[in-house]
Amino acid sequence: MSVATRLNRPPFKRSPVGRALTSQWGARLTSYVVFIIGWQLLAMLVERVPGPWETLDFIWREVSGGDLGGVRRGQFLEHFGATVPRFAIGLTTSFVVGTVVGIAIGSVSFVRALLSDVLLVFLALPAIIWAFLTVMWYGLGWEAPVYTVILSATPFVAVNVAQGVRAVSPELHRMSDAFGVPRNRRLRSLMLPAVTGYLFTGLRFAVIIGWNAVLLAEWFGATDGVGWRARLWYDAARYRGFIGWAIIFIVFIFLLDGLVLSPIQKRAFRWRKSASDEVDLEHGLADMEAIAKTPFL
Amino acid sequence: MATLKIENLTKTFHAHSKGGLPTRAIQDISFEMSGQVFVSLVGPSGCGKSTLLNIVSGVDTPSTGTVTVTQDGKKARLGYVFQDPRLLPWRTVMQNMLYVSDLHEEEGRANATKYLEMVGLEHAHEMYPGQLSGGMQQRVGIARAFSVSPDLLLMDEPFSHLDAITARSLREELQVMWNATKKTVLFVTHDVLEAVQLSNRIITLAHGGTVFDDTTVELPFPRKASDPDFAAHQAEILGRFEVMEAERAAAAG
Amino acid sequence: MAEAATLEGTSRRLAGARLRRASGVVLGWGAFVGLWAFTSSVILTEFTLPGPLKVWDAIWVIVTAGSWADDFLISISKTFMGFAIAVLIGTPIGYLMGRAGYWKAFFHDGVVGAGSVPGIVYAMMALVIFGIGYLGPVLAVGLISMPFIALNVAEGLEGVDTDLLKMSKAFGRSERQSLRHILIPSILPFAFAGVRLSFAIAWKVEALTEVFGSSNGVGFQIRFAFQGFSIPRVLAWTLMFIALLLLIERALAVLERWLFRWRTWEQEE
Ligand SMILES: Nc1ncnc2c1ncn2[C@@H]1O[C@H](COP(=O)(O)OP(=O)(O)O)[C@@H](O)[C@H]1O
Ligand SMILES: [Mg+2]
Repeated sequence: MSVATRLNRPPFKRSPVGRALTSQWGARLTSYVVFIIGWQLLAMLVERVPGPWETLDFIWREVSGGDLGGVRRGQFLEHFGATVPRFAIGLTTSFVVGTVVGIAIGSVSFVRALLSDVLLVFLALPAIIWAFLTVMWYGLGWEAPVYTVILSATPFVAVNVAQGVRAVSPELHRMSDAFGVPRNRRLRSLMLPAVTGYLFTGLRFAVIIGWNAVLLAEWFGATDGVGWRARLWYDAARYRGFIGWAIIFIVFIFLLDGLVLSPIQKRAFRWRKSASDEVDLEHGLADMEAIAKTPFL
Repeated sequence: MATLKIENLTKTFHAHSKGGLPTRAIQDISFEMSGQVFVSLVGPSGCGKSTLLNIVSGVDTPSTGTVTVTQDGKKARLGYVFQDPRLLPWRTVMQNMLYVSDLHEEEGRANATKYLEMVGLEHAHEMYPGQLSGGMQQRVGIARAFSVSPDLLLMDEPFSHLDAITARSLREELQVMWNATKKTVLFVTHDVLEAVQLSNRIITLAHGGTVFDDTTVELPFPRKASDPDFAAHQAEILGRFEVMEAERAAAAG
Repeated sequence: MAEAATLEGTSRRLAGARLRRASGVVLGWGAFVGLWAFTSSVILTEFTLPGPLKVWDAIWVIVTAGSWADDFLISISKTFMGFAIAVLIGTPIGYLMGRAGYWKAFFHDGVVGAGSVPGIVYAMMALVIFGIGYLGPVLAVGLISMPFIALNVAEGLEGVDTDLLKMSKAFGRSERQSLRHILIPSILPFAFAGVRLSFAIAWKVEALTEVFGSSNGVGFQIRFAFQGFSIPRVLAWTLMFIALLLLIERALAVLERWLFRWRTWEQEE
């Protein structure tokens, strides 16, 4: 009962300022302010933790150039230029391979029996193991990051695509049988729409896992790239740099997700439900669950 | 036997979205019922029948007006059968019965068993609602409502989600149970045939939540739809519905 | 008669399917181990990718050395500590999010954002804040699990069937009875799913943080083996850890199925 009833609004919430502050956007804004203040407090408490302004300043200098403790600055774009192609090649490969394997697993029950247990082990294998192995195999260079991305992301794409294939309801197949729907129309109108959603979820998986993987591999086995750069500051005990790069990693993944993947996925899911301008918890939740199965190691 | 007294009841729902209009679900309804009666509340969908029952049961509150349910001057006990079974899916049939019981464990069990037997579910005590068919679930709902020995029994279209054959047999069971217990019943339906078959009195609501008509049905039980008197009653009420629709059309221009 | 015949036919068909599945599983493992052995001896070398036998030897050495249990225990204790913190913080946040639109909007970005941050970032943050020690991995686990628990509790609360609450009120049940018989049973499956999901990632982040900086635990052992260029030992520790976690995972899944057995019946209907 207490859940079903809402509290009565106090007078504060009726004033214009109160209404703005208690609106959705007000709540979000407040949360960011609280976050920044919390960070600042933490920085004051723990000496090693840099504050928000210090970090922002570091990021700015990393972009604009200069010199810090003998380390040349301003190669921000160069490092991204090294990392992004590795990330993109690995991602594309795992997407293609994962889709093919996933379709096989989803549609042929023998393949499913053959691969499901092994896939479980691969899903559980942490990315850092692949990073260690590929560094030993290929030494320092571009190969270790690329292969780490492929080896850690592919199983997740495969699992998602397989789920999508399996999710097409047998009732709809039977309905199509009853109406004698031809094979290619069935593929286009039934299978494809059902699988696209899963395909995009798979892609988002791959992006987060792959990003983590490329960072790890560069951390341990590269001589350039953003992961290597973060390690440089870590080894130099410059925590500003370390946290600064952590922020850059997060911002990168958010931008990629918000500007590229999310809009594409929304288009693919148009038929699901009408757009809502409320904070979309369910959407976030589906992603979270997807991400929850990621090997972050 | 309980007395239900509704005086100048009005219910308005607030608008859900900004700029939306509030919904007037019930507008100035008054009526009274008491004793061993089976009263049906008939009306088109959306005319406020469920809202009325919710207010009577205390689940919802009136905007204006008063609703009192008394039993010899005291507050009456209520039983409620909903349109859907509304069973706790994570509890067995017996646990669902015990959930609404105020008796001691042993007594409660015996009592629940008695009513489950009445609806023919003595074998289903340990089953979960998910293991029962829709008709069986609704039977549990009916047994649950009777099991609290209510002074006033509220029923909100209890058979409308069921297939015609199951609905018919449950209607007959309800008739038998009512004859055995003679509860005061307020029964909501949109089905005129069902109303004529079961009730002593039929109150018709119009769109917008006003009382349109209030008649008694004095036919002997059990009633048969093939009986000419039955058919005449049904035709009369349906005829009034036509008048109501015509008036509405005229008002709409 | 006819019925008995079809029943028998059905059970034979089912048995056939089960046999095919079992043989597929066995074949799958065989192929996996075979491919592994082939890759290590023909494509790569025993040094760069040690074969199954070599890894098995390494596992044997670790097990007979005796102190492996300490490393597992310490890693698992860190995981559960972090987990407990995540539950303690995540549950109230989820409760607020499920109950009020304001809190939902307030926490949404942070919670969803925190769930999509790469694990390496958490490991780094934990190191900066706590340095090398017991608390680093605990913090990392807490940070990464909290969003899942919060979101699942919120979803569970939002999904509570208000019609059941109305039923409860109509029959004059008290708030406490509604809480016990309706609210908690509806949230529990979601909370459990949250725990299971986050457990699957929690241990990975825990081990990762140990790899980055720790003086004990499985992650430390993996790092130690890596620095000694002993790939067999890297793989041995990893596989042992995975085996243990899959076991815990399975146990949780069984427990979940038993706890929420009413759900399967609901779906079958
Ligand atoms: N909780 C609510 N909020 C807003 N409007 C409601 C609510 N409950 C019912 N209504 C509106 O009140 C009117 C009567 O509804 P109801 O009593 O459910 O009708 P019925 O006679 O079909 O049972 C309808 O127009 C419905 O949309
Ligand atoms: Mg209704």
